[in-house]
Amino acid sequence: MTGNREQLLALRQATVSFQGFVAVDRLDFSVAAGELRCLIGPNGAGKSTTLDLICGKSRITSGEIIFRGEPIHTYREFRMARTGIGRKFQVPSVFRELTVMENLEIGCSREPGVWHNLFRFSGGADTERLERLALLVGLQDELSTQAAHLSHGQTQWLEIALILAQDPALILMDEPTAGMTAHETNMTAELFNRLRGQHTLIVVEHDMGFVRDIAETISVMHQGRLLAQGTADEISEDPGVREAYLGSGGIGHA
Amino acid sequence: MSGKLTRQFLIYGAVCLCILLVPVVVDDAFLLNKYARYLVFGMLAIALSLSWGYAGILNLGQATTFGIGSYCMAMFLKLKTVPVHTGSEGLPDFMVWNNVTELPWIWVPFQSTTFSLLAGILLPALFAALLGWFIFGGRIAGVYAAIITLAVMVVANLIIIDQQSYTGGFNGITDLAEFSFLGIDFDAYSASTYYLVAASLTVTLFLALAVSRSKTGLILQAVRDQEERVRFFGYDVALYKTFVFALSAGIAGLAGMLYTIVMEFASPTFLGVPLSLSIVIWVAVGGRQSLIGAMLGAILVTGVQGALSESEAFLETWTLIMGGLFVLIVLLMPKGLAGAIEALVRRLPQAGNGRSARHTEPDHRPETHPNLGGTQ
Ligand SMILES: Nc1ncnc2c1ncn2[C@@H]1O[C@H](COP(=O)(O)OP(=O)(O)OP(=O)(O)O)[C@@H](O)[C@H]1O
Ligand SMILES: [Mg+2]
Repeated sequence: MTGNREQLLALRQATVSFQGFVAVDRLDFSVAAGELRCLIGPNGAGKSTTLDLICGKSRITSGEIIFRGEPIHTYREFRMARTGIGRKFQVPSVFRELTVMENLEIGCSREPGVWHNLFRFSGGADTERLERLALLVGLQDELSTQAAHLSHGQTQWLEIALILAQDPALILMDEPTAGMTAHETNMTAELFNRLRGQHTLIVVEHDMGFVRDIAETISVMHQGRLLAQGTADEISEDPGVREAYLGSGGIGHA
Repeated sequence: MSGKLTRQFLIYGAVCLCILLVPVVVDDAFLLNKYARYLVFGMLAIALSLSWGYAGILNLGQATTFGIGSYCMAMFLKLKTVPVHTGSEGLPDFMVWNNVTELPWIWVPFQSTTFSLLAGILLPALFAALLGWFIFGGRIAGVYAAIITLAVMVVANLIIIDQQSYTGGFNGITDLAEFSFLGIDFDAYSASTYYLVAASLTVTLFLALAVSRSKTGLILQAVRDQEERVRFFGYDVALYKTFVFALSAGIAGLAGMLYTIVMEFASPTFLGVPLSLSIVIWVAVGGRQSLIGAMLGAILVTGVQGALSESEAFLETWTLIMGGLFVLIVLLMPKGLAGAIEALVRRLPQAGNGRSARHTEPDHRPETHPNLGGTQ
């Protein structure tokens, strides 16, 4: 399915070590434009760290990261973001002191310059688009609620909406359904299926039901390395994957 | 949403109008001079509210840029005086005493009015931009950034005292000409000087309000909340922080220039730790996340301070009283007087429509203690 699509992102021999502990180990990993890739693996496999490398939160100690043909791993964080990479963090991370609408305005970062934004005031041209985004994630009635007062699931959705406001080519989602009810998880799966094609997504997720709902290709990481890659069925039959998940209660409960 | 904006404009406008109308009621020149001084402090509080209240950058050296502005004005006015001993083409008196034979190069451009007035704002801004670029570009935040601002001020103060032949040293620059601009003479003890300060304060307040309500102002608040997160949306956080730091310095510089006009001298004490810490106190008392709150905090605290220190009864104890009040307010009202008043207004029945929150003054936000260390 991904065969003849243009490659958007590639990690080549990407390695990161934290004071000698190798969290990501010579990882080769690539994603095609428009793909929705799921990244799974037991706790501590290095999934979040991999996303950190792609968005610049952590720096590779060797190897390279190519995005749209450019080696981006030397860029500062904001430059990496401007090339078209958005990140949702594992611990939902929104601006708690600001309202939902204000959060969305921050997310809308096509024009990131200080000077430009000095002459932009709320209620501008983007308002309608942001209100539509709020509707998409079910926060249309909470526009003037302070983000600190949202429920956990709503906070997750707000952060997803922030990324959509940013509108990056590549979206990195770290456990978007963590802490969500079954119903909320279903709605998120629906949302992701709608995003398919418009954005390229890498989704780190533990909930195998959710992964099956959305995934085309699944990549499995273990101890900082890529263990297997394939469809949901191929993955669950892979003996290496089964072994990696032994002791952590099986693939669905990792 | 515009309801709150209108209300805010009305309040800001009304307060400024009251300030501008004071000379109609008061015609005591000494009082006007004293009030003008309080207004200058109000301007300093606005400057700190922008960087500390909005962007979470605690500047413990706000007086540095205030001092630079004040010296710019003093150098300009000094060159306008006719030295008593050496005649009209002579050097400023203190230079003669220090055996300086020709006007030092840094003094030369201050013969120009335009240069001097611009320098009083732009030099402090440039200074802060360089310092900010170093601090924020190097990802120094919180307490460490605050300590650097404090240290830089101490160094600047020492340099001024040390370079006596260029700066007048410990005595500062005194015996200045009267400031006159566009044909108006600004006698320190006159309504015209009061109006000059009040008008500058009004312009500054509305300018700061516009910045705080712009998207840049919103991004600064996001930086205060979670600096790390803002970067991953593609904003250059260091640049934003440097910008607000420099803007705040420019305002402080303007305040410094006005202070020299009002006080008729410049002194190294203007770049002092006591003044810098006082600004922090005014802003904390007034409410650091409210521009007008911070401004009124400064006017109120310095006003009460002035009254107490002059009255016989409190001659000995006024510092104690002020200290006690400060501790009480900060403990009981973490968002300062502005926060407390807002909370009160919200409880009133007709405040139901006040639910629509826009950025600037937080509407229904949980009370947090003023974070002396900034965000991180
Ligand atoms: N900044 C860091 N310093 C030191 N060790 C780190 C750092 N970040 C991650 N690690 C370690 O790297 C390993 C991989 O962590 P990572 O967060 O990427 O795992 P993960 O696959 O996302 O796991 P989980 O499913 O629990 O989120 C862990 O052992 C973790 O302790
Ligand atoms: Mg993780």
